[in-house]
Amino acid sequence: MSILFIHSHYGPTPAAYAEAEAAGRVRVVRETELTVADFEDVAGLLTTTHLDQIGFAAFIPALTALLDRGGRWFFNGHMLRLFVPGLGLYTPLTKPIRRPDFALTRLNDHPIFAGIDQKSLEESRGVAGFYGRGHNALPEGGLAVNVIPAALFPIDWEWRRPAGGRIFSHAGNDLGGMGGEGGTGALVTQRALAWCAGEVGQ
Amino acid sequence: MSLRVVHPGAYYHSESLEAAPHAGHSDRLVRPEDLGSVRLSDYNVVLVPCRTPADRMTPRIDQLAAYLDAGGTVVATGESESQLFLPGISFTPQPTNFWWWLTPGADLGVRIAAPEHPLFRRLTQRDITWHLHGWFDPPEGVEVLAVNGEGKPILYIDQVTTRGRMVITSLDPFFHHGSHFMPATTRFLDGFLPWMREELDR
Repeated sequence: MSILFIHSHYGPTPAAYAEAEAAGRVRVVRETELTVADFEDVAGLLTTTHLDQIGFAAFIPALTALLDRGGRWFFNGHMLRLFVPGLGLYTPLTKPIRRPDFALTRLNDHPIFAGIDQKSLEESRGVAGFYGRGHNALPEGGLAVNVIPAALFPIDWEWRRPAGGRIFSHAGNDLGGMGGEGGTGALVTQRALAWCAGEVGQ
Repeated sequence: MSLRVVHPGAYYHSESLEAAPHAGHSDRLVRPEDLGSVRLSDYNVVLVPCRTPADRMTPRIDQLAAYLDAGGTVVATGESESQLFLPGISFTPQPTNFWWWLTPGADLGVRIAAPEHPLFRRLTQRDITWHLHGWFDPPEGVEVLAVNGEGKPILYIDQVTTRGRMVITSLDPFFHHGSHFMPATTRFLDGFLPWMREELDR
């Protein structure tokens, strides 16, 4: 069992995923070549902000089957289409946005973020707002992990789907890109892959 | 009203093309994979938004060339590797400095090159300045509308390469506006899309 990484953008596979592919840990599939069979023997799925959400709708049965058998899906980006009953759409922060609106708060511990200084994710070169500017609706029973202050919007959450499987949502740029190359972002990427594989967060 | 807009399906495309305030500028959306079944000659303008994966457009090279040679207009914004599917484009990418504005008094160097052009009744220099992804070496005879700090074109209109018209830019407003990020990109679309409608869609 491995992890399916859907490569949605044009260009090389991001280094962390290419390395994981070389190590036999991840199967990278260009989204234009994705088939139902790609879902059938993997433990988890990781998608990026560039996911073609219109095209991905064709894979809802395969995604559902993956979750039904206890698989995991790590979703980066804004949900503007609904793929699984129980999920909701993205809501951006309402304007005007000020610096305190971007202060991240760890509401609940999660193995992907264990030991990681939230400040290292909150700012890039002293500038806040890159991590995320809104949230995907927290499903009923979901666990809010990192929140932004405006109404405690859950920018990161995990949902143990009652019918099976788990979904982790990060409503911002690809989580691996946060915290700088080789820094916190690289660690978070490895943790996200471990989570997709079911190695952490039992 | 006849604008055909390519919709690659990422969240930032959906936000920019389907949601207020700019949705009204897209008469008909079309998936890149469905372009082949569209009679482009029925449309005055074909718009290819930022970060359209080039390998989803390259199968349509001949169709786009025929449309242009029949007098059509193609508008293509940045980070789509337009040189791979449109004729006569010579693009040089550059590392993007996302942080230039952190230096007090810094100037990205972007300049309006044709202040008398009708587009700049709707856009100021501030509205075309966020960051740079690269520049073009266009054929002689094109109308250069904006340049970078070295005087290289970043936005131009080409009516010499084909019998039609190409509006080409390395600016990527749809991506950032659709990410609820960078107000200048929203202002750019606020001015650019009505101009496109009034000046090109006829």
